[in-house]
Amino acid sequence: MSYYFTILSPTDVPLFNLAFGTSKSGGDGIARFRFPDTAQYMNQFIIHSSLDIVEEAQWMNSNMYLKHIDTYPPASSYISAFLTPSGARFLLLHQPPQLPSTTDRTGSGGTGTGSSSLLASSFSGGVGSTRASSSSVAANPTSPQTEEAVRQFMTEVYENYVKTVMSPFYRQGMEIKSPVFRGKVSAAGRKWL
Amino acid sequence: MTSPGDATPVRPPPSFSPGVPRGASKTRYPDERRNSSTPSLDPDLVESRVGSSSPTPPLSATTSELPIRSASPYARSLRSSTPQLARSSLGSPVEGRLDAAEDIRSLIIRSFSPVVGVYASVDTDDLVRQKGFKGGFWELIRPFGENVPGKVVIRDSIGSSRPWEDFGVRFVDLGGSSPTLYDSNTARTSPLAQVEEVLEKQLKSANDPLSGSVRPNDLLNFPSTSPLYKDYLRQLLSIASATPHETFRHPVASIIVISSRNTSPLESLRQLYADTSNGDRRLPEWIHPEYLRYYVLVHDEDQDDIAESTKLYDQMKRHFGLHCHLLRLRSNQCVVTDDDSVQVPECEWLSPAERLSNKSEPLVDLDTDGLPYLFESDVMAIKGFIRELVAQSVIPHMENRVAVWNDQVASRRRGISGRFMSMSRRWAGFGSSSRSSFTSGGGVSGNYDGAHGFYKPDTPEAILRKMADFAFMLRDWKLSASTYELLRSDYGNDKAWKYHAGAHEMCAVSMLLNPLAMPAKTKREDVDQMIETACYSYLTRCSDGPDGLRCLTLALELLKARGGSAIESATRWAMRAIDLGLVGPVGQGLLSDRISVCYASRNAIPGVRWGTRRRKAGMWSVLAADLWLRLGMPALASASLEEAERLYADVLEGDGVFLMPDMQTFIDNLRHAVKVEYLEARGLDTSDETIIADPLGTEETSEQLDKRMNRRSLIASPLDSAGLIAAQVTRDDDNPADDDFERA
Repeated sequence: MSYYFTILSPTDVPLFNLAFGTSKSGGDGIARFRFPDTAQYMNQFIIHSSLDIVEEAQWMNSNMYLKHIDTYPPASSYISAFLTPSGARFLLLHQPPQLPSTTDRTGSGGTGTGSSSLLASSFSGGVGSTRASSSSVAANPTSPQTEEAVRQFMTEVYENYVKTVMSPFYRQGMEIKSPVFRGKVSAAGRKWL
Repeated sequence: MTSPGDATPVRPPPSFSPGVPRGASKTRYPDERRNSSTPSLDPDLVESRVGSSSPTPPLSATTSELPIRSASPYARSLRSSTPQLARSSLGSPVEGRLDAAEDIRSLIIRSFSPVVGVYASVDTDDLVRQKGFKGGFWELIRPFGENVPGKVVIRDSIGSSRPWEDFGVRFVDLGGSSPTLYDSNTARTSPLAQVEEVLEKQLKSANDPLSGSVRPNDLLNFPSTSPLYKDYLRQLLSIASATPHETFRHPVASIIVISSRNTSPLESLRQLYADTSNGDRRLPEWIHPEYLRYYVLVHDEDQDDIAESTKLYDQMKRHFGLHCHLLRLRSNQCVVTDDDSVQVPECEWLSPAERLSNKSEPLVDLDTDGLPYLFESDVMAIKGFIRELVAQSVIPHMENRVAVWNDQVASRRRGISGRFMSMSRRWAGFGSSSRSSFTSGGGVSGNYDGAHGFYKPDTPEAILRKMADFAFMLRDWKLSASTYELLRSDYGNDKAWKYHAGAHEMCAVSMLLNPLAMPAKTKREDVDQMIETACYSYLTRCSDGPDGLRCLTLALELLKARGGSAIESATRWAMRAIDLGLVGPVGQGLLSDRISVCYASRNAIPGVRWGTRRRKAGMWSVLAADLWLRLGMPALASASLEEAERLYADVLEGDGVFLMPDMQTFIDNLRHAVKVEYLEARGLDTSDETIIADPLGTEETSEQLDKRMNRRSLIASPLDSAGLIAAQVTRDDDNPADDDFERA
């Protein structure tokens, strides 16, 4: 499972970005997205497009944690969202790992660079992988266990976020550059995801 | 398309008892008979038909120069492209959208038209060949059957009748050398590949700046349905040939034709009939053998005596009853310069294979698009003939069959005892007294011939399927949906997977087509489930790509037409079609554009700003632009990109710059690449030089144009435009740490 975590200001300005991989079940914590290296912009496109759903879901739901709100099937990317009282949005994109067969296809199509290989990375692969390893918590993005783990992660990040933005050197809407915060988020990712 | 005004039933409720003689149905249309019993049609009917027969796609006047504008460097900030917003408000947008939805719906409905077989005697085909139609009588009447002139009144199962403007029948050749009815196995490539090939050819010819008659902008005309996509859909829907698992392509009727030149007319009619019923022209055994026969006598106006023909026609009527027609045609060939020459309309429903074989020839003469001409009197006669055939024979026949089968087969299944029977059949493995052949295994009816993969046409399962298909073609979707519903589990029990898939697909489609069944949430989940099942059965169990894609596309279009939250489902199916690899590169581009259109059509919840899907729509447009560019079609790419800018313009605050750095880089690069490609493609066209030179102005990037001969990948190599990079750096340099981390 690979993760891409973003904090967006109420006006959609990205305040913080972090990509990481799972540390559970022997993962090394390095993100391996299905896109080739040249197409990493897709994560941002997917996150950006899911803001449509966030805007809708935030009025329908009284909780801060909005749970899994959106899916992008071509890359089997799942988006979970968390809303802070100040209007900042935490968005977590998670993507289950690919089956070897589809990896091969992406590799061969990798010379084409970009989203055709991305589109070709098949949904059936995603289904297969979730089915194959649905017993492990992190591999199935829609299971209740995953929801719970993401919720824990979000809550911990939120705590740290509050501490960070209360820093006297931080103005609202500024990008969060604090290495401490970054470290804390990575630690939360290692701990829960 | 259709007149939704539901007329009160004027005619007395029909007697559904099967004992009613067939001929009685003739008298049910007293008013229509007055209009059309004579071969020449009521003139204003024809006029309205002719007047509406050339639908030119609406084209907003501004589109011709749009790609250049979007590609101009001045349009870097999205907000600066405000003039484009004006385009959507040129014609009232709401009206256009409704039109488009109705259009697609009509297209889908018309694609499921009854099929009428044509079997002409040799002398008739000779007569018609003399007129310049190589394919014989079938080719002559084929284009006219696709739209029956005037309104056709169809009565549904509860007795209310409804006029339809767009009814048509499909003629297939039963006798000729090319068996068009069932030739799916002989094709060398898969139909989907053929569709792709046709599209590519079409795009190539449109892309070629020298041919110039059709601009790509005409093909991809946002925001309504692009003609290119409509064409794609049409081809997809016309792939189907006759198969056991659905009866849409099985002939509902067949017309047997002789001409006045025949020396022994009645004998040859008998011979033709024998050929089709048990001779060498017999249909495969999975087609129900009892279909309507219709006898036509073609009279040669130029050579033969009308008195003789009338005498013969009277004799025919005495022999064969009322399903006869005397068609008066001239045997001389008509040329353009004749006074009353009328061009034969183009066939709308050509299968991809036919399109491929047709496309190769007409490179020679560009003015006449290869379509032959006919005398106006001939056209009138043919139209009158087809109207009479459809309104007085085919439709009454189908209505009658539906009523009979509904009475005899379906109602028995629907009733409480029928339910019990099917239950006991399923659970206990006994109790179906009506079935003599009964194999072991609970729930298997034994009617399914597993070795050959079809039900015999006289088994209840096959008859019910045929009845449901008839009801579907008669546009009685309520009845068809309930009948498919009955069949779904039966086919599943028998493990007749293709039938199973077909019943699920058509059940979902008829539910979606039924205007009265409102999309309650549970209903839509049912529909989604059915499409899911159909898709799985088609693709995994039967590996039938074309039908699977047809199912997904129908779901996409019909759910899109529903609007609201059904849009989400619609896009899901479209993405599924892309994911499963059912579409080629061109289809992928078209579907990506279509997904964007779907998302864009989702309106905001009244009173608040949220609820739209603008960002998603924009993303898919960008992806489509990327795909088009990779296919080497910069004009289409620039159209998609421009659409993306229009969609994003509402979302992006301030100066229209994407706040996410990677996205901005990607879009900048894409925009640049599109511009370069577009100008390269147009470089040959000297007439447009002035337009090109204008937006370029003093921009330094223009000097790259002649150096680069082939397109460079826009993502791998960051374009070396100093301005772009500089702008990028200034925007990026405040978060270098992030980038480093991501690359790690």
